[in-house]
Amino acid sequence: MMKQLLSNESKGPLGLIVSVVVLMVIFSILNPRFASIENVQNVLFQSSVPLIIVVGATLVILMGSIDLSVQGVMGAAGMVWILISPNTRTEIDLGVWAWVIALATGVGLGLFAGIIYDKLKVPSFVATLGTWYVGLGIGIMLYGNGMLPSLTNETLARWPTRLTLGIPNSFWLAAVVLLGGVLITGYTRFGRGLLAIGNNETIAHSSGIRVSRYKILALSIAGGLSALAGILATMQLGSGSSDIGSTQLFIVIPAAVIGGTALSGGEGGVLHSALGVFLLVILNNGLVLAGVNPNYQQGVFGLILIIAIVAVAWPYRNRLKVAK
Amino acid sequence: MTDVHAPVLRLTNVSRSFGPVKALNNVSLEIHRGEVLGLVGENGAGKSTLLKILAGIEKPDSGTIEMNGAEVKFRGPADARAAGVGVVHQEQSLFTNLTIAENIEQHSLAETGLSRVGIQQWSRLNRETQKVLDMIGAKLDPNAKVSDISFIDRQMVEIARAVCIDPGTGKTPLVILDEPTAVLEQQETEILEREIRKLKEFASVIFVSHRLDEILRICDRVVVMRRGSLSSDRPTKGVTKAELFSAMVENQTDAAPHTRTRPAEISRPVVKVSKLSRRGEYEDISFEVFPGQILALVGSSKSGRESLARTLFGAETHDSGAIEINGETVSRWSILKAAQAGIAYVPAERKVEGIIGGFSSTRNIALTNPGEGALGPFLRPRAMARVARRWFDRLDVRPGDISLPLGQFSGGNQQKVVMAKWLNAPNLKLLILDHPLRGLDVGASATVNAQIRAACKAGAGVILIPDTIEEALEMADDIIVMRDGLRSAAHDLHRNQSLGIQDILADMV
Repeated sequence: MMKQLLSNESKGPLGLIVSVVVLMVIFSILNPRFASIENVQNVLFQSSVPLIIVVGATLVILMGSIDLSVQGVMGAAGMVWILISPNTRTEIDLGVWAWVIALATGVGLGLFAGIIYDKLKVPSFVATLGTWYVGLGIGIMLYGNGMLPSLTNETLARWPTRLTLGIPNSFWLAAVVLLGGVLITGYTRFGRGLLAIGNNETIAHSSGIRVSRYKILALSIAGGLSALAGILATMQLGSGSSDIGSTQLFIVIPAAVIGGTALSGGEGGVLHSALGVFLLVILNNGLVLAGVNPNYQQGVFGLILIIAIVAVAWPYRNRLKVAK
Repeated sequence: MTDVHAPVLRLTNVSRSFGPVKALNNVSLEIHRGEVLGLVGENGAGKSTLLKILAGIEKPDSGTIEMNGAEVKFRGPADARAAGVGVVHQEQSLFTNLTIAENIEQHSLAETGLSRVGIQQWSRLNRETQKVLDMIGAKLDPNAKVSDISFIDRQMVEIARAVCIDPGTGKTPLVILDEPTAVLEQQETEILEREIRKLKEFASVIFVSHRLDEILRICDRVVVMRRGSLSSDRPTKGVTKAELFSAMVENQTDAAPHTRTRPAEISRPVVKVSKLSRRGEYEDISFEVFPGQILALVGSSKSGRESLARTLFGAETHDSGAIEINGETVSRWSILKAAQAGIAYVPAERKVEGIIGGFSSTRNIALTNPGEGALGPFLRPRAMARVARRWFDRLDVRPGDISLPLGQFSGGNQQKVVMAKWLNAPNLKLLILDHPLRGLDVGASATVNAQIRAACKAGAGVILIPDTIEEALEMADDIIVMRDGLRSAAHDLHRNQSLGIQDILADMV
């Protein structure tokens, strides 16, 4: 079963695992605190939100499309959720229904993007870019000019950081999503169909794969997962904000690419992308601990990002040669 | 129940027109169980239309199709598949990122149990695929990724996919192979021939090819199409190539052999290669090509000849040795420098490397050497069109619309335009042709060959990578045989006029 999985996930992510380890060794030498249990828990905590998003993003990228709506959907779903959960602004508390409604908001936005993409034949880049701002608009509208909505329920507010078996709950949630993503891409006709579409949409179509349905479904799932990430981030922050997803897109997409999930579709997988997320989170965390001047951190991060992407892309360089 | 004695396929008076053009005109045809039927004809003779009708892509205007004794009407490709027709198209249509088993499944394996609700059962899928692979005698791992297997193995997967119909129906699969050998090397073709013999045990086969000797070797019966009708339908036994040829073309024109007048070697070579090596591709290769000379590089797919040709064009690098172009040793060789030095390269992968399908022929021809079509950095649309018009007339490109996107032309006509693009170079010194006749019919091949000779006459040297040894013998002045990257033999065809295919084959393997 594992063999099957790895062979399906194409060109072994060995190089990536090696670079993650090398990076960890370097940072541990620069600052021993990096390897402390607290910091490992911290890294897992920080990676949980991007991990959840990257699963959805990978489904979309595998079929050769892209989902830019992440941050908007996060903002909308996060605001929806907090306003109907115990909070300082409204009296409404729908309990579990708050989750259902917030997730449905995300799925709805994904469905919206998917239908525009598939039925109106608009490139996914543009369809989801528009959805980003629709989502952001909903978030800002809900945020309004009223009082800052903060979580009043201590149990909820503490849940993401609380440890279960030494691992933060946030990460457990991400791990479940990750497992779901692996099962979908490896063991469902839908998941394999996404790979087929990413490889050659025309053949996929003529082979009787339900291309339209799969496209819309993939974007809907991605929307739902962005919403989940939005809720989790809101809980982590403890208060609502339409900007809750800010900068996530620019972690998630490079992470997928670094992981070896090709933007052209068909190659890579959920586990690959997850490794990419770890690499970026560790990089960020390590630079802070290594005491890099905060004024340089962004620039250094960018440079290392480029080096990582070039290193990963190296084996995939194509000469003029095609086929055979 | 189906009638076992009825022909697997029977066409009666099938016609199909596109506007005023009668692509198929009252075609009637029968194929029996276990029969291999050869289908030949020039480009535009109606072969493609016939195949499309059988595959359910096109519908006939009139006439009937019967399979296993029952009349069928195909509303789409799915209906044709359900009736047992499997087509292996000229261009491979596999998902390279998926496994062999998945590729076969996406097409045909019946959905039962868990897979109906969308769960992929790998072990069951692999087991069933193994059965299909065993049936066609292909030794392949169902779980292997298609991108990791060789070209001929991919062809096997395509065949497995084509024969894979629900066994419960008792139908005989009809496998249509549309020019499967056009992109294969000699040994690979032999593997395919063995496979077709194997297929006869349980399927019927329609085999389309431009290579008449293959047809005669493989098929039980051969059908010749000309202008939408069948011009000949007879058992292959006793038929000669010449008879088939005359049934294909109306007026037999140039099947003229090479006149073979060696150019005077007073001039310096256009290209001189000394001890050239590229790791894993070719090793220690030396030769010269003079103006007006045609050198053929012969070898199998792993001989390194393609890589060598690409190196000369600057598309690949070499590890050691030297290349002299027009008497000067080159360094940091690149495609741009090669093109500036008057080297032209007609690639094998026409669709990928040779043309920009969305551009018109006019713009494709002007890409490399606009000639009079440009004035400094500015393009001159009317002059460009004039240039294109001239080449269309000279090469008899059909249809004659220079503004139509090139992607819509047939393979043979695309190749003519690719030739035009390079022949338009004012300083053409060396023409490198990588499988120039791949997928071309007799007429288009003759036109392309005539252009090669014309370029020679105008003083260009030619390096030819031919599809077949016959092609090398017909066109070349000299032949270099390569095996596993090494030069295994060289022949001067002027001194050795009696050189035969067998002699060259012996050096290849």
